[in-house]
Amino acid sequence: MTTAVSSPYVQRTPRASFGYLICLPLLLSLFSPVAGSAYVQEVTGDTPDDIWSSDYVTYEFPWAVDEATNFKQYHTYDSMKTRMMRLAEDNPGIASFHEGLNGGTNTRGQETTEDTYKGWYYGHASPWMKITLGVEDGEYNEFNGDAGNYADRQDVLVVGNHHAREWMSYEVPMFMIETLIWSYDEIGYDNDGDGLVDEDPWGDADGDGILDDDGDCLRLDPAYQDSDGDGVACGPGDLGVDEDFSEQKLHDLINNREIYIVPMLNVDGNRYDREEFCGPTAWENCATSGWRKNLRDNTLTGITPLPDLDEQVDEGCDGVDLNRNYQFEWGAPLGATGPLIPGACYAGQNNDVYNGPVDTVDQDNDGRLNEDGVDGKDDDGDGLVDEDWLGGNSEPETKFIQDLTEMNDDNGNGGSDFPVTLTWHSFSELILYPWGHCQNCDNPDQDQLKYHGDVMATMSNYENMQSSDLYPTSGDFCDWHYGLFNSYCYTMEIGNAFHERPENIDDILLRNVGMGMYMIEIADNPKERADLAIANISQQNYLKQPNKVDIPPEGDIPVDICVSSLFPYSVDNSHIKWRQVKPSRMQSDYGPREWSYTDWESAKVMLIEGGCPLAAGNGTLLRAMLPISETATGELHYKAMVSTLGGADFYQYPSDGSYYTLDISYRAAFGSLFGALFMFSVVATFVWGGLAVALRIMLKGDGEKVFEAELQAEGA
Amino acid sequence: MAESDQFNGRLGLIFASIGAAIGTGNIWRFPRMVGANGGGTFLIPWLFFLFVWSIPLVIAEYAMGKRSRTGTVGTFRIFAGKRFAWMGLWTAWISTAIGFYYAVVSGWTLKYFQLGISGALTGDEVDTTEVWNAFLQSPGQVIFFQFVVILLVLGAIWKGAKAIEKVNFYLMISLFALLFLTLFLSLWMDFSDGTLDGALFMFTVDFDMLFEPEVWINGLSQSAWSCSAGMGMCMTYAVYMRKDEDTVLNAFTMGLANNSISIIAGLAVLSAIFAVNPDPLATVTGGSSAITFLALPEVFAQAPGGSIGPLFMMAGFFLALSFAALTSMISTVELCVRNFVDHGYDRERSVLITGIALFLFGLPSAMLWIKLDSSGVAFPEFLEVQDHIWGYGLMFSGLFIAFSIWKYGYVKWRKEVDAGTAPAGFSGYLGFGVSAFRDDFINTGDNDLEVGRWWDVLIYIAFPILFIVLMGSYFLDMIANTDDVWNPSNPKGLSIILLFWGVVAITFMLLNKYLIARPLYRNIPEGADVDISALPGGDDDMVVELGEVVPGFEHLTQETAIEAELVG
Repeated sequence: MTTAVSSPYVQRTPRASFGYLICLPLLLSLFSPVAGSAYVQEVTGDTPDDIWSSDYVTYEFPWAVDEATNFKQYHTYDSMKTRMMRLAEDNPGIASFHEGLNGGTNTRGQETTEDTYKGWYYGHASPWMKITLGVEDGEYNEFNGDAGNYADRQDVLVVGNHHAREWMSYEVPMFMIETLIWSYDEIGYDNDGDGLVDEDPWGDADGDGILDDDGDCLRLDPAYQDSDGDGVACGPGDLGVDEDFSEQKLHDLINNREIYIVPMLNVDGNRYDREEFCGPTAWENCATSGWRKNLRDNTLTGITPLPDLDEQVDEGCDGVDLNRNYQFEWGAPLGATGPLIPGACYAGQNNDVYNGPVDTVDQDNDGRLNEDGVDGKDDDGDGLVDEDWLGGNSEPETKFIQDLTEMNDDNGNGGSDFPVTLTWHSFSELILYPWGHCQNCDNPDQDQLKYHGDVMATMSNYENMQSSDLYPTSGDFCDWHYGLFNSYCYTMEIGNAFHERPENIDDILLRNVGMGMYMIEIADNPKERADLAIANISQQNYLKQPNKVDIPPEGDIPVDICVSSLFPYSVDNSHIKWRQVKPSRMQSDYGPREWSYTDWESAKVMLIEGGCPLAAGNGTLLRAMLPISETATGELHYKAMVSTLGGADFYQYPSDGSYYTLDISYRAAFGSLFGALFMFSVVATFVWGGLAVALRIMLKGDGEKVFEAELQAEGA
Repeated sequence: MAESDQFNGRLGLIFASIGAAIGTGNIWRFPRMVGANGGGTFLIPWLFFLFVWSIPLVIAEYAMGKRSRTGTVGTFRIFAGKRFAWMGLWTAWISTAIGFYYAVVSGWTLKYFQLGISGALTGDEVDTTEVWNAFLQSPGQVIFFQFVVILLVLGAIWKGAKAIEKVNFYLMISLFALLFLTLFLSLWMDFSDGTLDGALFMFTVDFDMLFEPEVWINGLSQSAWSCSAGMGMCMTYAVYMRKDEDTVLNAFTMGLANNSISIIAGLAVLSAIFAVNPDPLATVTGGSSAITFLALPEVFAQAPGGSIGPLFMMAGFFLALSFAALTSMISTVELCVRNFVDHGYDRERSVLITGIALFLFGLPSAMLWIKLDSSGVAFPEFLEVQDHIWGYGLMFSGLFIAFSIWKYGYVKWRKEVDAGTAPAGFSGYLGFGVSAFRDDFINTGDNDLEVGRWWDVLIYIAFPILFIVLMGSYFLDMIANTDDVWNPSNPKGLSIILLFWGVVAITFMLLNKYLIARPLYRNIPEGADVDISALPGGDDDMVVELGEVVPGFEHLTQETAIEAELVG
């Protein structure tokens, strides 16, 4: 043992730096980020902040990167196009970006090039997006330049901004693009941050006549119930109304539809409206005015039409109303201005509904000009239909829609593949369905078109009416699509101004986006869907609720769907979708229980004899056997996807886009006696046997050493 | 010469190591892993990795600590070289950072012992969730028990190795006894309905599950965590080894004893839950603290024997749990203290500083972010985040140990190649490198058991593969199952982990030059084999035996010497 003397000269302070530095990392523990966590809070309050996340309350959209993508200010043509390209680049599996068409020989035998579709004045082709799963892996359409074509997917065409000054009409389709693409990988996202998922989809999902399905808007203090200030409490566009839709449903739609979205058809006109005619803050000076048409040069000075960047636009005369320029029943000057004689235009005569020049080509080379206009009839009795038209589709923008539609024929039936088409306009808060060109004339699908319009009217609180009941229009988008291709087509007149104030953009979008998604959903068979709904047949079907499901002691779990005997179900194409929620095997030691979700899988249904009870009598029983392991614990989520013989595949039960939840407990035997005995003996041999051997060696050795030590001690 | 510190008997080391290894993980984590991974199926990978991961690593830790005779920082300084002293700092930090919140958790177990013995958990009307929430939501209570734990631990290690030895011995013996008591009552409960289904489940192999990678990964993680292999505990306790201690036999004994306790605890917990719970598997697949503090009190309350049985079972179980936690806390504190002492700080002051740091830095875990989950059960989110961040840092400590061994082998092999006595090329290194470490530091002649070539193979091949598999599966799982996983403000995300690891690692690398500028005092018992000249840190003038004087640092030596005199 050493002795040392305490000395007054001993320095008692070791270098401080070391001691303190080593403590530095300790401080880290205090700076764990103070971030929000996703736990469920009991909702008691009655202000929006009590119920929802602040992002939702202020409409901060989860995909937003700037003011425009957050829909707090308008996109310009450039920022819109850049954003579309960005989305396509970031989501190459589901979205592709296009401008105009490649061209080639179209269905009318005309040769076109990509220049055919570029605006007269600024020279842009209309940008558009194609959204579908495997957008680069389908059949390639060389004319359209689109590789996302699938014969078994229905196509939907959504077009905005026929009319340049109707700015909201391109913001809504942009919002649809953002919502669709973002939702694809965000299944189960809690859009409003209230801890519930998909609890309030668009419209009145539970059929109780109240739009606010989860009742959270209605729970607010009345002072907050009309957040969009339209005078309707808890109406569409208000906080808490239709705010938490099913991302799964949009995901499924992207997998099963080809969605074409053309947010800004009339780029020429829109740029002119923003850059020259009204200016970038058009809502100040042009709320209900502005530039409407495209920029065709109608004046004598130009050789019409001519791309003439040098030449000023003659505002009193130039331009064609694109939504009067479609060929169907073109030229009947109902709500349109007949063709001008070139040169007869004079300043001050503004033809806002000018429908374009008269055709000068004898398309069928029979020596007669324009003897059989486009109306689906053989006007001249020569056995050919619509073969020599009067005019229409003379503009780059309408030619683009015409060729995009007519050249998009995945299934080779010679017609358009768009069972559903939709065009956004403003303003007046109306939903318009064909016809437009004639008054007091029912269309052949009057009841069905009116039905879907009524459904959408409940979503938006808009008025649903036949287009010509508002005012007659000839040569519009919807008459052409419906008249020639029987496409269920709607014109949405949204909002209350051509140039809405920027602070109203998000409210108006939220009020309208559900209608766009509805159109995509019904595209599989809009007529059959309307028929079944009108007869109240699809609403009778039901999926067995969790508390009625009998879990057998062993084997697969049967889940039943009961369908009306009038419902044209298809056994082959109907199925139950299901997934499991399992407790994670590697739980956190101290946190709440963690779950893992399996992917959704499909189980085929089969017809079971004996039927099932329906409110309106006896129904047909369809059953799927879900292969849930007997050792599984946790939850089973399931929903029914019922298809019809007519091809409608999206009758989903429960009908609000959600699913039922069934608790699953362990059903297998806990073990076998002999197996357990064997395993026990193996483990016991290894662990306890091994331990015994080790201790024996150790104690033996230790004993000897202790003995030696004692000997030494004695010797000493 | 200052007095060195060592254990009295061989069992002292064993009990201290077992005390470090056996923690709450054996008692609350093991049963739920068995439940979630197919019962007896889980035992196969769990046992496999005991021999493939945990024991080989513990052998290395013992061998290194026994030779370096310093804590983690010194050991890496000597074995991996001057530039790598920070690896020891990392190892110490991970253990200490875990200690911050582990003291809080140990406090919970003490509180539940108190609740158990006072009968507060056994009444008819007890809602265990309410009890738990009330406790967790009163910071005063949580902090009080955390404080008690730290006091107990400081008391136990104040006087060094001999005290640690004694405390661990009694606590471990009591732990065995208490667990056996609980096991007995559990089996009785389970058998009272005519079947031992808990025991059956625990020992029945489901061959389908045996081929699921997840079961194997979980087996590996349970083995790695439960044994404390790689945490530096065994390295630290090896400092107090007597000179002729058998590292290999000790490693096997410790590993097997650890697993024995797991089996007993697993059997006790599963039997009790299966005896009374209609859906036992839904219960045992929850989180650890949920099982322990919510499910088990409910189950124990239904023990046979009137009012005495439940009381015994409850108190016995939670006392055993407290002991397991306390002995692990002891090793945590000792690991930290040892590093201070190695660098010339006096022991008592180091113990005090460590204790205060543990208390202060544990406070956030005790009181911050106490939240309710979706089923209304309170949980400490700050604590959970700490666990999330530092838990997997342990894997790096293990990797650093393997790195030191690879490096030692490499340096030695290069020398031999230059001398013409070893084959060149990569296969030459494989054949020679790790074996050299084994020959020089493990099979030193004190062993009853010699380690064979299998150990080299594990350190070379199995080790890096298992490290990558475990880290990879953890990260991939997190990426797949966490929302917003890359957002650095998400406390459960990946960015936050990488950020904290990065900051700590970089800080420590920067500290390295301060570390190696200080003398390192080795704790060498009389007659121990202390030759480190062949090691990368062997030529360092600043590495000296305890009591030796380093020019410029005389004050440290004298201080230590005074200390030694006082102790003596």
